[in-house]
Amino acid sequence: MRATVFPTPGIPAGRDDADGDPEADQQRSSQLRRRDGQSWPPITAVLIAVGGLCALVQGPLWNQSAALAGVNLTVSLLFVFTGLRLRAEPGQRGVAWALMLAGVLRSVDFVDAWHESPLGVYTLVFGGVDRLFGAWALLRYPNHSLLRHQRVYLVLLTGWMLIGRGLIAVTSTASLDGYPASSWWPALISNMRLADILNYVVNAGEGILGLALLVLLVLRLTRTRGLDRVVITPIIVAGLAAVIAAGASAVAQMVVSIATSPNGAYIAESAVDLAVPLAFLVAVIQRALLLRNIAGLTAQISAGADVGAVRHALRSTLHDPTLDVLDLSASASAPAPDRLVEFIHADGGAPIAVVIADPALARYRGLFDAAVQTSALALKNAQLQAQAAREKLEQVRASQARIIEAGLAERRRLERDLHDGVQQHLLGVAAQLTAAMTGTSDPVAAVAFARAKDGLREVLAGLRDLAHGIHPALLSQGGLAAALEDVAERLPLPVLVTVSGPRPAPAVEATAYYIACEALANAVKHGDANRAVVTVRVSESQLEMEIADDGVGGAPSAGTPSPGAPSTGAPPAGGQGLANIADRVGALNGEVSIDSPAGKGTRVEVRIPCG
Amino acid sequence: MRLAIAEDSGLFRSSLTLLLEASGAQVTSSTASGTELLSAIGPDPPDVVILDIRMPPSFTDEGIGTAAEVRSRYPRVGILVLSTYAETSYASQLLDTVSTGVGYLLKDNVTDVGALMDSLARVASGETVIDPTIVRRLLQQNRTPSRIDALNDRERAVLRHMAEGRSNLGIAKKLFLSARTVETHVTSIFTKLGLDQADTDNNRVRAVLAFLRSAEPADKRAGGEAAD
Repeated sequence: MRATVFPTPGIPAGRDDADGDPEADQQRSSQLRRRDGQSWPPITAVLIAVGGLCALVQGPLWNQSAALAGVNLTVSLLFVFTGLRLRAEPGQRGVAWALMLAGVLRSVDFVDAWHESPLGVYTLVFGGVDRLFGAWALLRYPNHSLLRHQRVYLVLLTGWMLIGRGLIAVTSTASLDGYPASSWWPALISNMRLADILNYVVNAGEGILGLALLVLLVLRLTRTRGLDRVVITPIIVAGLAAVIAAGASAVAQMVVSIATSPNGAYIAESAVDLAVPLAFLVAVIQRALLLRNIAGLTAQISAGADVGAVRHALRSTLHDPTLDVLDLSASASAPAPDRLVEFIHADGGAPIAVVIADPALARYRGLFDAAVQTSALALKNAQLQAQAAREKLEQVRASQARIIEAGLAERRRLERDLHDGVQQHLLGVAAQLTAAMTGTSDPVAAVAFARAKDGLREVLAGLRDLAHGIHPALLSQGGLAAALEDVAERLPLPVLVTVSGPRPAPAVEATAYYIACEALANAVKHGDANRAVVTVRVSESQLEMEIADDGVGGAPSAGTPSPGAPSTGAPPAGGQGLANIADRVGALNGEVSIDSPAGKGTRVEVRIPCG
Repeated sequence: MRLAIAEDSGLFRSSLTLLLEASGAQVTSSTASGTELLSAIGPDPPDVVILDIRMPPSFTDEGIGTAAEVRSRYPRVGILVLSTYAETSYASQLLDTVSTGVGYLLKDNVTDVGALMDSLARVASGETVIDPTIVRRLLQQNRTPSRIDALNDRERAVLRHMAEGRSNLGIAKKLFLSARTVETHVTSIFTKLGLDQADTDNNRVRAVLAFLRSAEPADKRAGGEAAD
């Protein structure tokens, strides 16, 4: 089997331009139709002519055995019809002619019914030629050439049959072969004994060659894979049946008598022979049937399949377990040589996948192209769907990020309002009170002023903590480093703060800040830590933060309640702890991991993408 | 004492003016922003300018920028920055910007008029003032282990006053000690904390604040400072 190879991406790329183009699709399918559907009038005319010829050539047989003549005629017509249909298949013109010749010659075999010389000699010598053509077709279809051993076999078979039968003819006489003695006969060395021996030798040889054909056909079947196998299975089975029937018929002829006409055996054999053209016809129709598989393929992979699903579907549809579909969106790999290669391109033109298949599939180009087109649609759909899903996810994330930004802005506004409004007013009042106090000499009033002043101081301190808790102004103004230093200052354990890199977006910065506050508060409250380290690395693409302490560990992975956290300046988390924080990080498309083995401290790692 | 005020909150500004004048100071100008203050200072500058840290246009820490501008134009004028931020980093930032005759006070504490007038006087005479609330908080951290544990009570009191920016003489007056005794204590403190002896009072304040803020012993402080 010679491989047809398309190793260059350039050719399929050009072909692929037609993909998804309805006009080109139409063109292609009309090409398929033209190849499939031949015009009927010439076929009918040929069949009528062949039918007439075959009916005529058998002449007197119609009187002797109308059944045999009828079967012969049917077999001939079916062979010819199949041959005519097969002519449309690329590379199968030879097989088509072989089948047509086999068909015509099948009826011509019975020309000896005329009992006219030299028709009897023709039948004796050339009566098996139709089988030679048949064997040739059985061995070759649907390949473009024969294998060496098949060619050798056919030469052997042809030589044996023609020479052997020729020898029988020259050693025997007309009457010896069952023809009227008046018939012309090339009885050169008429020797009845020799003719008898020759008859057995030639027939035995033909029997052995028939068995050899059985072996060759079985070999063909077992050695053929994929779609070819689907196509040739009925042909091989029919061929096997025909060979066996021919053998049985030959044996029957010998056993019964050469002189009497063994029409029953002929009829049975011919009836079996019908299977051969029928099988070829099935093969011809097979392509249309296989094309129908595309509908199944479409159903399998229509709903936006991934590369794996497409690969699976293509393998079963094209009967090629070696077929592979590679995702090219990730990496462009060089396709294997000596394989049938077809690229699938996105609408933009970039290749998204490549189909690498058995080169034998090149013979089913229409089917292959249709399957690849269907796959391309599915893959493109999948790509679009994935893109849509990504966009939707991105939208959700963006909206979550906006909510966080809005919350953050609101906190900043609140802090500013408290600071610039209430706080300044109260400070003004406190200053006025102090001024009034310095101006009075009344001891009772002085005490009252002092009390009011102390009360105000407490209120102001509380207000300052509140404003700081809502949003530390230092975070906006000084960044993470300053804000975390401040958090560290307020904690009863040494905290080493290291911040490197540019300032990230406010939402990222604030989220990192609150996580650090929460984690440090936990380290103090639950972790019983002696020291802690906060390391922040900011790059163009992401913020990485690690908070590690040397406490008792064993912290739950998320959701550690932390009442009383405000001492660190963390927002009043309401006991939701790290779960709350994980949500914020998730909304920013980041991730939090907490590693807290019992007795070995707690390590919180945070990664948030920036910009 | 002649003072100029830049404070954007009208109520606090007028109350402060009232308070200062009641305490015998003279307020030469009272403005709502640093720019206005700079243009209000005439050929006869005040002894001290009082700056709100958070003023227009950005309402963040303009006070510190204005302080630098005042110092470069009028080197002899003391600067007292009033703030509602108790974070030490603002005070440190101010000390990094202006080295002497500068103070950082929480607005809450202006109600202690004696302390306010004392701070103004110290700033006017070139000393440094750090709000006692901030220093107290730094000292109260109760960290374990801490080198401060190695100090005795008297040394700790001296350390607190050093952090608030007082000179040896100022500390001596406050603690009713002789200047010589204070000097001995200071040397002992610097040795125990592993700090280098500072050449000026301002450097001394910065060194002490940095020590108090840092999470690490002085000899391992490199990492902590890299974060600034």
